[in-house]
Amino acid sequence: MKIPVSVKVLVLTLVTTGFYTMVGQLVPQKEVLPPEVVEISADMTTEEMVANGKEIFEGKGICSTCHKIGGGGANERFPNLEGVAVRAETRIEGETGLEYLAQSLYEPNAFLVPGFAAGMPQINKPPIGLTDGEILMVIAYLQSLGGTPTVTPETELSYAAD
Amino acid sequence: MNRKILLALIVLALGIWGLWTAATVFNAKLAYRAPIAPDSTRGATETFTPRGQALELKAEQEAEEARTRPYEEAEYRAFPRIGSRVAIWIVAQLKLLFAAFVLAVPMFALIIEFIGFKTGDPRYDKLAHEFTKLLSPAFAMTAAFGGTLTFMLIILYPKFTNYLMSVFSPTFLPYVLLLFAEAGLFYAYYLTWGKIGPRLHLFLGVMLNLVGTGLMFIANAWLTFMSTPAGVSENGAVISTWEAVNNYTWMPINIHRLIANIAFGGSVAGAYAAYQFLKAKTPEERAHYDWMGYVANLVAVTGFLPLPFAGYWLASEIYAFSQTMGLTMMGGAFSWLFIIQAVLIGNLFLGINYYLWLGMGRVDRKDQKGRRLIPFLLLLITLCFAIWATPRSPITTVEETQAMGGSSHPILGFLGVMSAKNTAVNIMILTTFITFLLYRRSGRKTEGGFFTPGNLLQTLILVAAAGTVIYYGILGYFVDAATRIGFSVPQVLSVLVAMVLVTMIDMMMMRRTEPSDVHWGRMPDRAQYVLIFLAVTFTWLMGLMGYVRSGLRQHWHVYGIVRDTSPDAFTPTLGFATQVVSVTVLIFFALIGVIFGLAGLSGKKAEVAAKSPAPDTAPAGAPTPSPAGAASASQPSGSQPS
Repeated sequence: MKIPVSVKVLVLTLVTTGFYTMVGQLVPQKEVLPPEVVEISADMTTEEMVANGKEIFEGKGICSTCHKIGGGGANERFPNLEGVAVRAETRIEGETGLEYLAQSLYEPNAFLVPGFAAGMPQINKPPIGLTDGEILMVIAYLQSLGGTPTVTPETELSYAAD
Repeated sequence: MNRKILLALIVLALGIWGLWTAATVFNAKLAYRAPIAPDSTRGATETFTPRGQALELKAEQEAEEARTRPYEEAEYRAFPRIGSRVAIWIVAQLKLLFAAFVLAVPMFALIIEFIGFKTGDPRYDKLAHEFTKLLSPAFAMTAAFGGTLTFMLIILYPKFTNYLMSVFSPTFLPYVLLLFAEAGLFYAYYLTWGKIGPRLHLFLGVMLNLVGTGLMFIANAWLTFMSTPAGVSENGAVISTWEAVNNYTWMPINIHRLIANIAFGGSVAGAYAAYQFLKAKTPEERAHYDWMGYVANLVAVTGFLPLPFAGYWLASEIYAFSQTMGLTMMGGAFSWLFIIQAVLIGNLFLGINYYLWLGMGRVDRKDQKGRRLIPFLLLLITLCFAIWATPRSPITTVEETQAMGGSSHPILGFLGVMSAKNTAVNIMILTTFITFLLYRRSGRKTEGGFFTPGNLLQTLILVAAAGTVIYYGILGYFVDAATRIGFSVPQVLSVLVAMVLVTMIDMMMMRRTEPSDVHWGRMPDRAQYVLIFLAVTFTWLMGLMGYVRSGLRQHWHVYGIVRDTSPDAFTPTLGFATQVVSVTVLIFFALIGVIFGLAGLSGKKAEVAAKSPAPDTAPAGAPTPSPAGAASASQPSGSQPS
């Protein structure tokens, strides 16, 4: 039996699209949900703030898209944050580690780590748009990287809006 | 009645019925229904029962609420079953595919018509006319999808659409005027074919292309603004409409789409020619459609080869606008999408090269050049394809990760980075260019063997270009990221310069040579299926890249300005996205199949009416245009396919 050309073309089209659809199913499947505000409460402990900060760092804040924490080789595009708490204390003369970390999140281009170009967005502005409370929790997490977190829910940052 | 016409009418009737049903269901789901007022004619027994009184009271209250309800602007409305986003996604993609086809075909139809005008060969004119014949129903389809998309945006995303209208209102009147001009020029161009002077007709073609390009540029401003907004305040208030138009990605998208449309339009026209070839009953028909398929494929390749370079520019502008968005694209949620893209582009390269290798069979074996190189070229393309599709961190089990000693393979992991991938794609482009050179050479009778000054110079240039690409590819592993990204420029430039120089040398070398005997129609059927495969792959690729361009905004309608608060604000999985792309591609080919069918019917009618002798319509002996504009003649064909 001779198969009509149109049937052959139809089968080819279906097989080709089917193949590409199959390739699409073979790659990792991740649904990215819109971020939700992580509320900071007055009775939150520093440890809880560190845990929440880590979650924001890897999720809503999308910090981990650019910054690695350890395990990186040479030629990284953005600073590796392993031990950042120690470096923050001495990075800018006259600024405490807390002030430096806050500045690097609210005004990331005010000071650029030597060897790296500007590129980091202001974290409190869209599209990332973390709240002041969320930024405080991220700072708690960053302070835990090589140091001891000192921030509490009462800590006030000069950059904070409220 | 002709069975095919009857079938077309049935399909049309079913389509109208389907649209009517969809519209009715859609309306029923969306329309606000006011409560029905109490019926005063109802029986007294019903009204005076306690239940009846209660019902009447409730109905009166509802009616009163309806009368006094304040106006509230809806932010979103839900599309039944598939949701608003998927509905808009499919319609927008279909509109874009038809628009791309409608914009691309006049471009190469005009060029082919111009070649015919300059050479005086009527077959070019006929071919250009045949390409244009595909436009008429496609034009109507584009307009229909454009209207549907506009209404759906207004209905489903009223607040966001209103915002876009407030930003871009000054662009709407020029767009509408250009739309009218496009319609007028298209019909003038199509209907006056052969009826007015060639110069005036060519002028109409130029104007049609200019207006079409203008339309695309305006529409691109709207969509690029959504991804890389400019000219508005942090809160979205308009500061400058021109800045909103001339945002970071506007011009890169304009150029990228212009080139991609040519590649896509060429591939779809090639699929049409392939289908007609497979259905052809006479050697003359086969010869004609073989030639048409060859020209269409050449158009597609000409558009396809510079496309990665336009892509680099677009990506660099995305990074310039927002590092966050750039990294989301290449290193975040969408990084695996580019592995799928690599599979598609690898297939395109393989298909294009295979078609050209098969095309060498059109000339006699003694005139075929470089056949011995084909296995090596295939090996090179396959190798580059594999490198390009290598992920940095493959999907592995815990045991496999432990066995590898990390998330990346100790050796293959080095191939998953941009240095290797950029090198691979540039080498693939060079390889395809060599295939094209060999094909072109087969169309000419040359003497003196390989060791001629021209051949040696060409080889030197190609080796130097490949060497430059590989050198920078390796060097990329030893420098910082910012320097490494800059290496793509010399890689791209070396390939482009090599292609231009080699083509120029080739034109000079071939100037005084005799053409080979080209037997149009002597192509195996599988070559035609390759053309159809290429068209489906190009279309699928356009769908996928359309998704990433739009999906990069994630939970924003306008990135960083207008947030998407609808239930569809999440970014779907790549698996789901590919399913939607496939559905869109299948709908497109179903519709384009009908268009091809209609075009075929009109062609048959014209043939019957003309009753012209078949040999006159065969393209045998027609010059084969190359991107450089060179030509080679051929002998009469009509020979049977091998």
